[in-house]
This record gives sequence, C-alpha cells and structure tokens, in this order.
Amino acid sequence: MGKSKQVGNHKSGKKKHIAKTWKTKRRTKDIDQIHADMIPGNAAKLLKQDVDYDVTGSAQHYCLHCARYFVDLKTMKEHFKTKIHKKRLKKLREEPYTQAEAERAAGMGSYIPAKTIEVHTQQVEENMD
Amino acid sequence: MRIEKCYFCSAPVYPGHGMMFVRNDCKSFRFCRSKCHRNFKKKRNPRKTRWTKAFRKSAGKELTLDNALEFEKRRNIPVKYNRELWSKTMLAMKKVEVIKTKRQARFIINRLKKGKELEKAADISEVKKNIHLIKAPHAGQAKQLEDKMVQKLAEDVQMDE
Repeated sequence: MGKSKQVGNHKSGKKKHIAKTWKTKRRTKDIDQIHADMIPGNAAKLLKQDVDYDVTGSAQHYCLHCARYFVDLKTMKEHFKTKIHKKRLKKLREEPYTQAEAERAAGMGSYIPAKTIEVHTQQVEENMD
Repeated sequence: MRIEKCYFCSAPVYPGHGMMFVRNDCKSFRFCRSKCHRNFKKKRNPRKTRWTKAFRKSAGKELTLDNALEFEKRRNIPVKYNRELWSKTMLAMKKVEVIKTKRQARFIINRLKKGKELEKAADISEVKKNIHLIKAPHAGQAKQLEDKMVQKLAEDVQMDE
C-alpha cells in the first residue's frame, strides 16, 4: 500500500482559485454533518423541502450526499452518474472521524478501528405528469 | 485546567496555545497549531494523513489494544482533594508510563521483524536467480571431466577382462 499519487491541485487547469474554497465564508458541509443528514428523519426533511425561490431549483432537487441543489431532475440524475458523486459515496462509507477518536489515538483508551457503513444514492421518485 | 487533544493530530493543546474553531452548528474543534487547522479547512481525513496519530493507529503502526492505555481518560467528575490519593496517583502514573513505553517499543520491534524476514527471503531469491553472475561458467568442469575419464577407464578395463 503506497501513498496516494494525486497531490496538489494548483497546477491542474480545472480548479482555479482553490484557496478561496477553503475560506470559512464559503464553507461547505463536513462529512460528519452529512452523516447526521443521512439519518432517516433528517433525510426525509432535506429531500422534501418547501419551495424556496432563493435556492437553486427552488430547493426541490437536493443531493443528500454531496449537499448540493440542482435545477431539475435531469441534471440531478446526470450528477448521480458523475465521478464527484461516486467519490463522495465512497468517502461516506467510512464512519465519521470524531474528537473522541482523536483522543483514543492520543492514548486515552484503546483505539477502535473505524467501521464501514453502506451508503447508496438516494431514490428518485418517478412521477410522470 | 484541562489539556485538550488536537482534533487533527491528537497532540496535547495547552491553555493559551493553538486555536478553536466553532462550526455553525456549535460543534467545536481544537487545533494544536495552524498546520492542523489548515488541513482541517482543506477537509482532509486525519485517518488518511500520514503524520497524524489517527493514521498511525488505524494503519497498525502503533500499539492500539492494551490495558496500559486504559488509564488516561477524559474524566468529567471532579475528585475531592486527598493527599494520600494524590501521592498514590502520582506513583501509579509513573509506573504506568514506564510499562506503556516498554510495550509500545516492543510492539514496534515485533512489527519490524516481519520486514527483516522478507528482506532475507528477497536476498536469497536474488542470489538464486543471478547465480551465474558469481559462479564462473567452467567452475567444477575439470573435475567432472576427470570423473568421466576414470569411469570410462574402469569400463574399458572391465570390457578387456
């Protein structure tokens, strides 16, 4: 098992101004927050939101795992096929890291290895009208 | 006073050091230095970042399961001061520390033994593969020839009889 070869984004033409994305101002949801969203009760709320004209697509098409709004169902379905989404699912399969784990790693108690969780893309209801 | 542990690298954070980030859902994260904070902002996973304690433990580089590790804990109930208890605790802490370091060192030595074995096996197979480089092409052939001659002579003698 070697170190990941993919290091740095500065030179890749795709992502410009990546330092801006790390600013607290533009902070996106953390992995552990998404894990909290994935709890059935919270998930149902996020997937069926009220119409909000300030949000992309009036908040009707939300990808739970990537925490993103889409304009319509078609773009969301396209998104499910992308690498970004699949990579995010893979990331979510691991139990979220916590302060308790940091403390266990520091020698406060025995270290318990992270568990894996099954994560699948959300179901999209097909209503033909 | 409490010495916190860094969220990212698990290093101790003494009062007045490092920084605390409070997320918009009120969850707080403590960092020992800007390096850890920067890595957190980049959403790196401490389990996958090689220099953190979490990586070393989850990758099996360090001792993870041991009773000596069970003494240090976050205790939220304050204990009333008692001189005897205090002095005994100090003694116990020193003893536990000695045992812990010894076990951790032993774990690492045992872990590295595997590599030495593999290295030896690799060396042997390399020598076996490339033996022609060290052995002269005609080494031992003179003796073989002599043996053949002797055998032939013996056969000849038998034939004559």
